[in-house]
Amino acid sequence: MGAGQGSKQQPFRFRGLKLLGFVVLLYGAAYLWDTSRTIKSLEGFVHVLGTLIPILIVVTVLTALINLFIDPKSLAKHLGGESGVKGWVIALSAGVVSHGPMYAWYPMIQGLREKGARDGLLIAFFYARAVKVALLPMMVAYFGLTFTVVLTVLTLLAAWGQGVVMDRMSASV
Amino acid sequence: MQSFLNAFKKATKNMLSMAPMILAIVGLVGLFQGFVTRQMLASLFGGNPVADTLVGTFAGMIAVGQAMISYILGGELLDQGVSLYAVAAFVLAWVTLGIVQLPMEIEVFGGRFVLYRNLLAFVSTILVATAAAGVTLWLA
Repeated sequence: MGAGQGSKQQPFRFRGLKLLGFVVLLYGAAYLWDTSRTIKSLEGFVHVLGTLIPILIVVTVLTALINLFIDPKSLAKHLGGESGVKGWVIALSAGVVSHGPMYAWYPMIQGLREKGARDGLLIAFFYARAVKVALLPMMVAYFGLTFTVVLTVLTLLAAWGQGVVMDRMSASV
Repeated sequence: MQSFLNAFKKATKNMLSMAPMILAIVGLVGLFQGFVTRQMLASLFGGNPVADTLVGTFAGMIAVGQAMISYILGGELLDQGVSLYAVAAFVLAWVTLGIVQLPMEIEVFGGRFVLYRNLLAFVSTILVATAAAGVTLWLA
């Protein structure tokens, strides 16, 4: 996954078949226990999948573009050990603007990691996703302006702090 | 153009290999939405701000769905008298922590990275939620 251009290709295999089988069994058991709630669950499943598919397409295109245009050397410059403040700004901004559930981004992020992006920046990216620019007005409506501003600033600081801690832990291993 | 197609094919293959994992996670999200009601979530909070902050964090870890839903549920919890500390932890943990996606996260990134990420996110969530709610209540 996400290996750089010219790297050895791994054989194709589905990941998570056992987990999927387990979830299918769960649905079977749930259906026997409460049919109407299970049907509601299936409707929820279809709805979530419908909203997820466009995001997965965007992530796939982004992954292809990264594989095509970003070589490990230039990626290391922007997101590697020597990326400095620029690396933090890229990681935090990317986290804030990224949409959809976290797991939709796993393949792309692992691709970046395999190309040399350091773990601290990836952890900062994941935590910065808690800031949702499009939803800020809604957050203000529910919790007030003060809470929204304080939470947003502290979340970004915490994302950066986690990244720093992770980098130190990685360096000490 | 040809090289983009090759890169796209490779990226699509990678995404397809994850399809069972993604379907399983979405399936669990569906089950959560079908079986866990708002009343069930609200009943978890007992009124002690410290304990409720921890409960909010764990409830946010277990809960799944769009961030928007966590705001709506958080607003309802506040109306029902749950503390801002607990609601802040719940809203933050909803987006940053997730039990449901853990198997996929471990499969993709490996156990060590996932352990560190989740531990750091868990501690940060409690600290950020406590500080944000504390400052807000202090300024109010």
